[in-house]
Amino acid sequence: MTPALAQAGPSTMPGAGLMLVLLSAALTDNILLTRFLGMCPFLSVSRQIKSAFGMGLAVLFVTTGTCVLNYWLYVYLLRPLAAYGVPAESLKLILFIIVIAAFVQLMEMLIERISITLYYSLGIFLPLITVNCAILGASLFMVNNVTSKGFGLWRVLTYGFGSGLGWFVAIMLMAGIRRRLKNARIPPALEGAGITLIITGIMAMAFVIFQGMIKI
Amino acid sequence: MSVLLPILLSSAAACGLTVILAAALLVVEKLLVNRGTCVVDVNDGERKLEVTGGRSVLTTLTDEGIFIPSACGGRGTCSYCKLEMTAGAGPLSPTEMPLLTAEEIERGLRISCQVKVRNDLAVTIPAELLSVREYRGVVERIRDLTGDIKELRIRLVEPEAIDFTAGQYIQLRAPAYGDNPDPVYRAYSISSPPSARDGIELIVRLVPGGICTTWIFTMLTEGDEVVFNGPYGEFRLSEAGGPMIWIAGGSGMAPFWSMVRHMKQTGHARPCTYFFGAVRERDLFFTDELKALARELPWFSYVPALSGPAESNGWTGETGLITEVVDRHVREAGDLEAYLCGSPGMIAAAAAVLHAKGIGEQRMYYDKFE
Amino acid sequence: MAEPQETTRPGQALVVQLWRENPVFRQVLGICSSLAVTNLVFNTALMCAGLIWTTTMSSLTVSLIRDWIPRRVRVMVQVLIIAVYVIVVDIVFRALFLETHKEIAAYVGLIITNCIVLGRLEAFAGRNPPLPSAADGLGAGLGYSLILLFVAVVREILGFGTVFKNTAWETVVLRGWEPGVYETWWRNWTIMAIPPGAFFVLAVAVWAARAVALRQEAGQAGEGAK
Repeated sequence: MTPALAQAGPSTMPGAGLMLVLLSAALTDNILLTRFLGMCPFLSVSRQIKSAFGMGLAVLFVTTGTCVLNYWLYVYLLRPLAAYGVPAESLKLILFIIVIAAFVQLMEMLIERISITLYYSLGIFLPLITVNCAILGASLFMVNNVTSKGFGLWRVLTYGFGSGLGWFVAIMLMAGIRRRLKNARIPPALEGAGITLIITGIMAMAFVIFQGMIKI
Repeated sequence: MSVLLPILLSSAAACGLTVILAAALLVVEKLLVNRGTCVVDVNDGERKLEVTGGRSVLTTLTDEGIFIPSACGGRGTCSYCKLEMTAGAGPLSPTEMPLLTAEEIERGLRISCQVKVRNDLAVTIPAELLSVREYRGVVERIRDLTGDIKELRIRLVEPEAIDFTAGQYIQLRAPAYGDNPDPVYRAYSISSPPSARDGIELIVRLVPGGICTTWIFTMLTEGDEVVFNGPYGEFRLSEAGGPMIWIAGGSGMAPFWSMVRHMKQTGHARPCTYFFGAVRERDLFFTDELKALARELPWFSYVPALSGPAESNGWTGETGLITEVVDRHVREAGDLEAYLCGSPGMIAAAAAVLHAKGIGEQRMYYDKFE
Repeated sequence: MAEPQETTRPGQALVVQLWRENPVFRQVLGICSSLAVTNLVFNTALMCAGLIWTTTMSSLTVSLIRDWIPRRVRVMVQVLIIAVYVIVVDIVFRALFLETHKEIAAYVGLIITNCIVLGRLEAFAGRNPPLPSAADGLGAGLGYSLILLFVAVVREILGFGTVFKNTAWETVVLRGWEPGVYETWWRNWTIMAIPPGAFFVLAVAVWAARAVALRQEAGQAGEGAK
């Protein structure tokens, strides 16, 4: 399932490379539909389109920001430390989560200052995001990409943005579908989680199509 | 030695990162969140308050000595703190929307514990709230009235006297304790007559799991200092002179205990029948005092009623639900006024009975417990 | 998430978590990080071991220091405690099962943000004594593993025809078609080998469990009315 990006390393066309990174992060390796991350808030927040939009935007912001910050942390702190015997790969778990928590707090303060309307539509979701698997997951997969595919800063930024975008698209689609579900007759035992899982499965099947898109 | 170095470095990295980020957050908070001074205009220029922004309107006003009632302690659930904000309140927050009707939103009413002071504001505060003050007192006496009802007597320290109308309530502050990180305020009717200005009495019933009543029943002792603000409330005797009935249960006795003693002291003779409902005889209190008053005052009658299973103690009084007893005693409406104090359920049931008798809404007065 | 608090005896706490309050059935929480590994049973088994270790140990730890955690940083402290135990799991797996670890590394790390672990800490370990808390954590981990292993067994058998593929215990359950060697009725279901399959199997499992639970509740309600 890994996209054929091995050839699209830093040496090939940079612009096309970035576009591929973006599309693969958002579509073929969709962090929710392919990697199963960020399901909890996905299931509960996708009930209403408005809150889905706010949550999606919040995830987008935070994924992009934290991927970049964690990239710097990894390259400039963890890798050098590994030379001294520090288990960088294991330590990064704690350091990343600290960065994510701090970033989310910072974002909350900034947004409240900049625009109250924005704060009310997306700021209130920020505290929920600190423990959202998708955020930490994006950073961890980013590190995989850095070590195995030699991602640099711009690719990391695109990757973070693409992951968040993919999650945003998935939750908006789900919210739209659930709105139509209101008039459907669902067996009682399937209500809630059951039917949402089935819909997610069908959506995931649809996204599998995109695999064919990314080819070099 | 070679095992120690990685461990040291790891811990240093983790702690160092945490400290740096925490410091950065604090700095940003100082820069961003401190909004400098804002001006809060009260009642169209009647008072102008210069305050530091960043906190809710409710907290800001409380710090300035203006006490807005709140039952939930700023959590945005009780809507006691509704205020009309004519300017500067910003967009409606999602936490306010479920508590306000479309008409209220149109009028500019906001939930003041959910609106933060971010810039200059204009609010309208009703006159009686402006006269509310904070009082410090000492618990002079706590005594049990029934198994789950206590009477508190509080002597005022600062200020030394309180003026109120019989039937009003105060908000008692329960301090932070145990699982509760913040103090909370809860409303209790004053049960002492207004003439005793140097202190107040409260009748409190233990609510299972209730933050304030648990504190009162398990932690508060005589000699402790307490804080409350008030007086609040519009529940009081009307100007009319016609007959009235009072209906209460449990701690709903409080405002009436204040009213009847006040009426006795001021010689205010209005025909009055007081119906007090309880389940068993041991749930009644002040029975002797109320019966004595009934003997002494020709215009006052006391009718206690027990709704529980008949006991063998030879109870000769009324039995049945308080609503049934009222139904039996009230013959015709005339210009009868009804005063009700108790749980929303009891009030609704009693109101239904009284409406059926022909007593209109305008002659009914409620003091509802949440 | 209102959990009945009357179960504070360790054995009871374990059983309650395992069936009655099984978090994945009743609340479908925490499915996130682990569904991705359910295409192979062995990977799932490792993941579950890691999870059980983490829930039990963090429940125990949080319960031991519950009186000293300041309110404001409560969530962060819990997350950090979980992170420590996950790092232990990570190091152990890296040492003992390097090949598999490469595949599931990121998901092991994501146990830190697993809603179930955090949920149990908040709801139970934060206010109960150590031994029942540890039992509660153990029960939650076991219940969670039960459902994950179920999904994994279904997915691997239908998707690859084997169980414990790529390990010393590999057994072929459904022999699929191989050119010139076997002509059989079985074709591996690709759908089970790719992510959507996990969603469907889980949906069916949740459906079955909910149906049973609803019937039980209806039966109890009927009895209670008598």
